[in-house]
Amino acid sequence: MSNDDLCIHCSLPISPVDLVTDEIDGKQLRFCCHGCRSAYQIICGAGLNRFYQREDRQSDSLKETRSAQFDDEYLQRYVRKRDERSEIHLLVDGIRCASCIWLIEHILQQSRGIESARVNFATHRVLIFFDDEQISPAEICLQLINIGYLPRPFSLDELQRSAEKERTELLFRFGTAAFLSMQLMGFSLALYAGYFQGIDPTSRTLLQFFAAIVTTPVVFYSGYPFLRGAWFSLRNRTPNMDLLIALGSLSAYFFSIYALFTHGEVYFDTAAMIITLILAGRLFESGARRKASAGVDKLLQLTPARAIRLHDDGSMTTVDCSQLSPGDRIKVEAGERFPTDGRIVSGATEVDEAAVTGEPLPVLREAGCNITSGTLNLTGSLEVMVTAAAADSFVARVASLVEQAQARKAPIQGLADRIATLFIPFVILVALATFIIWYGHPEALMHAITVLVVACPCALGLATPTAVMVATGRAAETGILFRGGDILESCAGLSRIAFDKTGTLTGGKPQVVSMTPQTGTENQLLQLAATAESGSKHPLARGIIEEALKRNLHYPRTTGSKTVPGRGIELKTANGLLLAGSRRFLADHDIETPRTEVVGASAVHIALNGNYRGAINLKDQVRDEAAAVISKLNKEGFSTLLLTGDQPSTARQVADLLTIENWQAELTPADKAQVIEDELKKGKRIMMVGDGINDAPALTAATVGCALAGSTDIAVESADIILARPDLGKLYFALKLSRRSLRVIRQNLLWAFTYNLVAIPLAASGKLLPVYGAAAMAISSICVVANSLRLRNLEEESC
Amino acid sequence: MLKSILLLIFLSFCIGTGVWLFFLYSVKRGEFDDIEGPKYRMLDDDEEMTDSSKSEKRDL
Repeated sequence: MSNDDLCIHCSLPISPVDLVTDEIDGKQLRFCCHGCRSAYQIICGAGLNRFYQREDRQSDSLKETRSAQFDDEYLQRYVRKRDERSEIHLLVDGIRCASCIWLIEHILQQSRGIESARVNFATHRVLIFFDDEQISPAEICLQLINIGYLPRPFSLDELQRSAEKERTELLFRFGTAAFLSMQLMGFSLALYAGYFQGIDPTSRTLLQFFAAIVTTPVVFYSGYPFLRGAWFSLRNRTPNMDLLIALGSLSAYFFSIYALFTHGEVYFDTAAMIITLILAGRLFESGARRKASAGVDKLLQLTPARAIRLHDDGSMTTVDCSQLSPGDRIKVEAGERFPTDGRIVSGATEVDEAAVTGEPLPVLREAGCNITSGTLNLTGSLEVMVTAAAADSFVARVASLVEQAQARKAPIQGLADRIATLFIPFVILVALATFIIWYGHPEALMHAITVLVVACPCALGLATPTAVMVATGRAAETGILFRGGDILESCAGLSRIAFDKTGTLTGGKPQVVSMTPQTGTENQLLQLAATAESGSKHPLARGIIEEALKRNLHYPRTTGSKTVPGRGIELKTANGLLLAGSRRFLADHDIETPRTEVVGASAVHIALNGNYRGAINLKDQVRDEAAAVISKLNKEGFSTLLLTGDQPSTARQVADLLTIENWQAELTPADKAQVIEDELKKGKRIMMVGDGINDAPALTAATVGCALAGSTDIAVESADIILARPDLGKLYFALKLSRRSLRVIRQNLLWAFTYNLVAIPLAASGKLLPVYGAAAMAISSICVVANSLRLRNLEEESC
Repeated sequence: MLKSILLLIFLSFCIGTGVWLFFLYSVKRGEFDDIEGPKYRMLDDDEEMTDSSKSEKRDL
C-alpha cells in the first residue's frame, strides 16, 4: 500500500468516498475524514509539525513487533462464546478523554464482523461483540494499535469478580429496599392519619396487612447482611452494630406482626426505614472506596502479562511474565509498559514514570538505568535485564497493598460498635427485668417487647452513618477523599502532623532565585541558558525558561540539543558549544567552575565555547498557602514536624519560614516511617502528609496518611485521605470537617441516649402508649438526620 | 369506598413493581457499571447504524 492511500494524520487507509483533500503550505494532502484534517490543522497551527515525523508514527516494523504479541492462540483464552457471537474484554491503554472513547468505539464498529464495541468511561474497558468467522481477536487488537492505543486482553481475577458481585448485590438490596419503603410510606401515612382521624377497622387491618407484605422482603432480603452479621456477632459473643440493627428491625417487625393479629398499632416503617437508610450509607461508602483505588487497579491491569524473551543465540520467544526470572533478558518496544523491574542493557528511551513517581514529564533512561514495572516506555526499543521476578516486582507489591486496603473492615463505625457492646446487653437486661417484674400480669410479655421496640436503635444506628455520609459527601465536593468513615474519627483525635518537604510544602517547581554571571549581565546569562534549555522538559529548564519569559527576553527556540541525563544539556551554536548543567557536567568538558553555592538551591552552570559564563540558582519555592495553613494548625494545638530527605540547611530554612516546630533531615523512606512509629509508641496520634513513593511507608505507618493530588499512585494507595487539588488549605478543611463531624456524631449519640433514657423507663412501667412511642422514634430519627445534615453547610475558609 | 382503595393500592403496587423490575433488569444489564459515560455520549449526535450502512463496513 503506497503512502498516498493512507491518511496523513491517522495513517489509516482512505476510502475513496470519504477522501478529503486540502492544500496546506503548497502541498496537496489527503485525509480520511474532516476530523483528521482539522486535527492536522490544529497540530500544525500550534507549530508541532514534528509530530508527523516521529519515529513511532513512521516505522511499520514497530507496529508489527507490537502486534506480534497478539496472536490468536493467546487471545483465544480471553474470548467467550455466547450463542452465535463471541465476546472479548480489552483494557485499552492510552485513553485520555471522551474523544478517545468516541474514536475507539466508532473505528471498531465500522469494521466488518464487529457487532458492537462499548467503552466504559471509568475503567477504560472495551466490551466487544464480534463474529469470529469474519474477524479474529488479533485483528481487533491490530485495529486499536493502528489508531495508537494499546489493547490488553483482560479478565477479572477471583477477588475482583467477587468484589464486583458484592457491589451489584448491594445495589440490588438497596434498590429493593428503597422501592418497598416508598410503598410502605403510603400505607403508614394512611395508618397515622387513621389513628388521629379515625379509620374503620377493616381498612386498618387491610393497610396493616399490606404494610406487612412490603416490609417482609426489606427485613429479610435487603437486611440479610445485617442479620448474618448479627448472627456471627452472637456466635462470637461480641455485640456490634449489626446486632443492634438486627435487634431493632427484627423486634419492631415481630412486634408489628403480633400487633397485626391482635389489632394493635404496627411499626413496620421503623423496621424498614433503618435498613434502607443504612444500606444507602454503605452504598455511598463503597463508591468512595472504589474511586480511591481505581487508579492503581488500572495500572495493575495495564502491566503486560507477556514479554518477549531474548535468548543467547539471538532468537526471541514470547513468554508469560510469570516465567521470567532475574537475569533474563527481554525486549521492550516503544509504547509498551515494562512487565517487571529491570535494568536497561542497551538502548535509550524516555520513560513516563507518572504512575510511580508522579512526575508528569518523561524521564530519559539509558543503558545501566533501572526501570520500574508499570512505567511506560515512550520512544525507544530496549533490551532489559530482569532484576525481579514478576511476583516480586513493584507493581505486584502495590497489588498486595491494594488487597490489604480493600480487606480493611467496612468502616462505618468504631465508636458506635463500642456503644453497641454496652447498649445491647443493657436493653436486653431491662427487657428481661420488665418481664420478671410484671410476671403474672397478662401484659407482661407485651411490656417487655415494648421496651425492645422503644429502645429501637434507630437513632443510635443512624447517628454515625448519616454523619459520616454527609461529611464524606461534603468533603468530596471540595476535593477531599476520605478512604472510610473510620478515618474521620481518627482524624479528629490527632495531635501531631508531619509533613514531607518536596512536593508537599513546596510546589515541586524550581524557580530562579539568583544569578552569578561571570561575564556580562544577568539577562545575557539567562538568555544563553534559555537558548540551551529551550528544548528540554527538565523542571530546572522550565524554571529558567519561565524566568526568561518573565523578563521578556528573546531567545531562539532551538532543536538539536543533546541531553546528558542527570548532568546537563549541550547545544552546538554559531559561537561554539553551549553547555548548561551541573558542576560535574562542566568538569567533564574541562571547564572549571567557582564554588558559589547558595544554600538550599540547585545551580545550573553555563559555559560557551569553553569559557565559564556563570551560574543560575534555582529554588523550589514553598506553596503560597503553606505558611498560613501551618500557623493555623499551630494555633489549633497541633504540633508540626518536617521530615525530609534533603540537607539539614534546607530543612531548617523551610521549617523557620513556615514556623514548623521540629524538623529532621536526611531521612530515608524507612527513617521517615521509623520517626512516625516512634511517635506512635509515645502514644501520640500522628498524621503524615506526603506525596512521593518515598513517603509511602510513613503514610502507611501513621495514624492517618494524607496524599496530595499529583502524588504517585503508591502514595495515594497508602493514604487514608487524598486531596484532589494540591492545596494545603484542603488539609486544614479536612481536619476541621472531621472534628466537626465527630462532634455531630457525639451530639447524635447523646440525643439517642437521652431519648432512650426517657423512653425505656416509661415503656418498662407500661405507661407508654405505643403510638407515642412510634412518634418519638420518628422524631428522634429526624433529629439525628437533620443534625448530620448541618455538616453540609460547613464553609471552607480560604488560606 | 373500600373497593376503590383496594384497586388503587393494587394499581400503585403494580406500577411500583414494574419500576422495580426495570431497575433490577438495568442493574443486570450493566447500566450502572459506567455512570461516567452517558454525560459524554448524549453529546454525540450520531445516526444509529442501520443495516444498510453496516453492509458497507470497511474491510481491514
